[in-house]
Amino acid sequence: MAIATEPPEARGRAAAPGRPSPAGRWRDRLYRLDLKASPFLYIAPFFVLFAAFGLFPLAFTAWVSVHDWSLLSDEQSFVGLDNYTALLTDPYFWNALGNTVSILALSTVPQLLAALLLAHLLTMRLRGQTFFRMGMLLPNVASVVAVAVIFSQLFGRDFGLINWVLESLGAGRIDWQTGKASSHVAIAVMVAWKWTGYNTLIYLAAMQAVPRDVYEAALLDGASRLQQLFRITVPMIRPTIVFTVIVSTIYGLQIFAEPQLFGGAGPNGVTGGASRQFQTLTLYLYEHAFNRGFEFGYASAVAWTMFAVIVLIALLNYLFIRRIRSDS
Amino acid sequence: MTRKPFRTALAAGTAAAMVAAGAACSSEADDGTVTLTVALFGDFGFGPLYEEYMEANPDIKIEERISEFADHHTNLTTHLATGSGAADIEAVEVGYISQYTPSPERFHNLFDLGAEELEGQWLDWKWQQALSSDGEALIGLGTDVGGMAMCYRKDLFEAAGLPVERDQVSALWADSWSDYVEVGHQYLEATDGSYYFESSGNMFRAMVEQAEQGVYDRDNNIVVESNPAIGEAWDLTVEAIEAGMSNGLEAWTPEWNASFSEGTFATIICPAWMTSYIETNAPDAAGLWDVASVPGGAGNMGGSHLVLPAQGEHAEEAYALIEWLTAPEQQLKVFEQTGNFPSTPELYEDPALTGLTKPYFNDAPVGEIFTAAAQAVQPQYQGPLQGDVLATLGQGLGRIEDGAQSPDEAWAQVMSDLESF
Amino acid sequence: MTTATTAERPTAAGPSDRRPPAAVSARKRRAYLRLMRNRPGRLAYLTLVAVLFFSAFPLYYSVVVASRDNSALGQIPPPVLPGANLVENVERVFTTVPFDAALINSVVVSLTVTASVVFFSTLAGFAFAKLEFKASKVLLVAVVATMMVPVQLGVIPLYMLMIDLEWTDTLWAVIAPGLVNAFGVFFMTQYLRGALPGELIEAARVDGASTFRIFWQVVLPAARPAAVVLGVLTFLTAWNDYFWPLIVLSSPENYTVQVALSTLAGGYVTDQSLVLTGTMLATLPLLAVFALLGKYMISGIMQGAVKG
Repeated sequence: MAIATEPPEARGRAAAPGRPSPAGRWRDRLYRLDLKASPFLYIAPFFVLFAAFGLFPLAFTAWVSVHDWSLLSDEQSFVGLDNYTALLTDPYFWNALGNTVSILALSTVPQLLAALLLAHLLTMRLRGQTFFRMGMLLPNVASVVAVAVIFSQLFGRDFGLINWVLESLGAGRIDWQTGKASSHVAIAVMVAWKWTGYNTLIYLAAMQAVPRDVYEAALLDGASRLQQLFRITVPMIRPTIVFTVIVSTIYGLQIFAEPQLFGGAGPNGVTGGASRQFQTLTLYLYEHAFNRGFEFGYASAVAWTMFAVIVLIALLNYLFIRRIRSDS
Repeated sequence: MTRKPFRTALAAGTAAAMVAAGAACSSEADDGTVTLTVALFGDFGFGPLYEEYMEANPDIKIEERISEFADHHTNLTTHLATGSGAADIEAVEVGYISQYTPSPERFHNLFDLGAEELEGQWLDWKWQQALSSDGEALIGLGTDVGGMAMCYRKDLFEAAGLPVERDQVSALWADSWSDYVEVGHQYLEATDGSYYFESSGNMFRAMVEQAEQGVYDRDNNIVVESNPAIGEAWDLTVEAIEAGMSNGLEAWTPEWNASFSEGTFATIICPAWMTSYIETNAPDAAGLWDVASVPGGAGNMGGSHLVLPAQGEHAEEAYALIEWLTAPEQQLKVFEQTGNFPSTPELYEDPALTGLTKPYFNDAPVGEIFTAAAQAVQPQYQGPLQGDVLATLGQGLGRIEDGAQSPDEAWAQVMSDLESF
Repeated sequence: MTTATTAERPTAAGPSDRRPPAAVSARKRRAYLRLMRNRPGRLAYLTLVAVLFFSAFPLYYSVVVASRDNSALGQIPPPVLPGANLVENVERVFTTVPFDAALINSVVVSLTVTASVVFFSTLAGFAFAKLEFKASKVLLVAVVATMMVPVQLGVIPLYMLMIDLEWTDTLWAVIAPGLVNAFGVFFMTQYLRGALPGELIEAARVDGASTFRIFWQVVLPAARPAAVVLGVLTFLTAWNDYFWPLIVLSSPENYTVQVALSTLAGGYVTDQSLVLTGTMLATLPLLAVFALLGKYMISGIMQGAVKG
């Protein structure tokens, strides 16, 4: 394998015996400096820009969370952990937490499985393959308005398409919005619809790094395509799977737009239904921040509590998914 | 292929961004013109008015920007909180104004700019909505109001053996909402499979707003439990729900949209903008809908104010503009162009308003009906968390409609929710 | 730039020269040959077509409603064929909304952010994945942790920051917070861990390459599939970003496309067919990019790593 040309002195250094020349010593030092400093230099842009634009908002939110702070008033009093204790004793917080975890489970598991299967299909040579592969991103291109309109039509109580199908099959109509489970399923479908293609492409890219000869050997042993997928591909792209599980967990616990759209334009959009049956944690946060007198302090406490929750659940999912064997 | 194209793109992109970004525009150019920014959540029909004003005042330039309803108000809150970014003039809808009146220091006090002399120009309840809690500050001037009427389906009323002429229909429930619910019982007995109204929320609100005292007393205490008017409104609404009168529809959903042409319910509270909506949305149902007056005779649903955020640097010029924009003459022009209903009662004698009829609704004299409803509204004190309290009550009713709770459970939850306010 | 030869990978033509024993049934042989040629069966095609249909349907439906009027939303059953109002709606959009300026703004913002995110994420990803240094693990965890705080409230302090920097109402305020993101770093890190063999880097070191040379000559080519995916995803996210630009931009000439579209709002009653026309117009540039660069993007994704 060829790397582009190096300065001849460097190459010469490896070959030449005896004491290095003064130029060689300087090169040596530079080389060691390079080895030591490069990692930090390379991660610096992220941390510097994050320090500039990401750190202040986080610190500020933490600071606000220990105050009784209403957005439009000029008086803010320090209240210590009162906001946190208030929210931990608020049954609506726990309700939102339960809803969020439920929707997370319902949307993430099928989504990632489907993405795996689809990516596997897309690695094959297909007619119109560019079409199929780029098509995975169409849900991310569609506008939020269009998605809201379509899914309200699909899940409508009286005239929705899904209820129409259910009725013609003999099962009764479902009032998707009113029920807890039904609303979670509907929202999970919306989320999965939007993000499956995204994850498919991520898996597809990862699958390219799996060498072909491993598959050939398996074929000779009579492995079906599905067996290939689960016995070979999955272990080999394990880091990617772990990655998608963690990222889906982190983002899934923060979903906001889908439940809000599902609830509509009125107060139900913020409370997640009249019985808060689909209020997620972020909706709960938004409710306190932009209604109810703009309780900025309380909402900030919710944000940081969500952080703790997300860390916990992401860690659990990570430990769980790591158990995929990585040997082939 | 190397990464060079990306690097070039990055550098070029950054350079282009810096060029395109430019400096923030200053609102006072060297020649002394003042640029006033106006932020709205829809088309208020001000376009031609700006032209007129700028012609008469060559040193003023007006720029308008529009964003979507909810985002507009969230944005306004953010800009008010951070002290920068709000327009010189902002529109605030009636559902949001009571969130801002507790913080009058965030706005220019219009009394300081000469608004006292304008007091009689508006409906008194409209004027009062923009007053701070102590009455010492006025934060906004009213634009339009949403005078209430009751739209009903003639064909469904006929099938139920009820009168169909609008005067007779208005007479059925002229005195009170209880009469309206009485008619509802008759309707349900006589028909099968259709509902009386689309959802209980609007009816409940209308009743609450007709009472002398609402959900707050003047000391900013929530009096939902102690105010008998609230209890009566609740009980009456619950009665209607339990009788099966409500279609349980959520506004702006496809179902709700479809229901106007499908005729799944017989009556709906309709302010002026709702009548326009029904017209465009259910063209095939022309002639089937008619308009009567609202039970109890008085009601308002909608309307806005124009406020001046305190961070605006051109208070006097901005005040002059909003004073002019909301003057009766201009409100009439807006009405003629967009149908937004004026908030200045002196116009209510104007034939342009009183003579307004809508062919879609069998030439109903909506002008008369809306003006009568708007004028009959009594000022009611609105407290700081007005919208949230009403939303809590409305959701309690929603839970009953959904079948999720019994009326007693729903009321109990409403009470405990209100404690956290 | 050179990459490894692809000697070990099957050519685009037929299967390798191993064949099954002749005793296998004809059907099995056909299936085997199909597997070897990596060709999909009917079920696979069916699934993919169904998925494509569901992915594309909302876009199609936007066109249907955009070409009709508001009453289309209330029709039962909903219309499935386009109507005749498209031209009229398009005209209205262009007169109401400063569309061309908005498109340019969106392109500038999205391209800058994408280039920056891809470059810096690959850089950091390389460092975390293959360069050994103390605190590497801790710092990576810190990167991931930054994704775990909800951002809805962050707009307020971020806006305060922009006021102090005097960047409000400029495109810089939209671009700067997006120049790097934790997702990108995390993504490239995990990809490079698997796709970049340590031996290559060793070999390059032996040849005396500096770390940056290694990055430029070895890492970037190896990272191409992930970089393309990350680039496309970042571009789409930046293009669709709505809430932060809405808060920070106040002059219509600085609007990005999504913010400009909110100008189509109509007070209490919004003409949804107009709004959907606007969103359709905003989506067309994306679809054009997909159409023109799709093959290039896909080949970027499908190109294998430098691995035997």
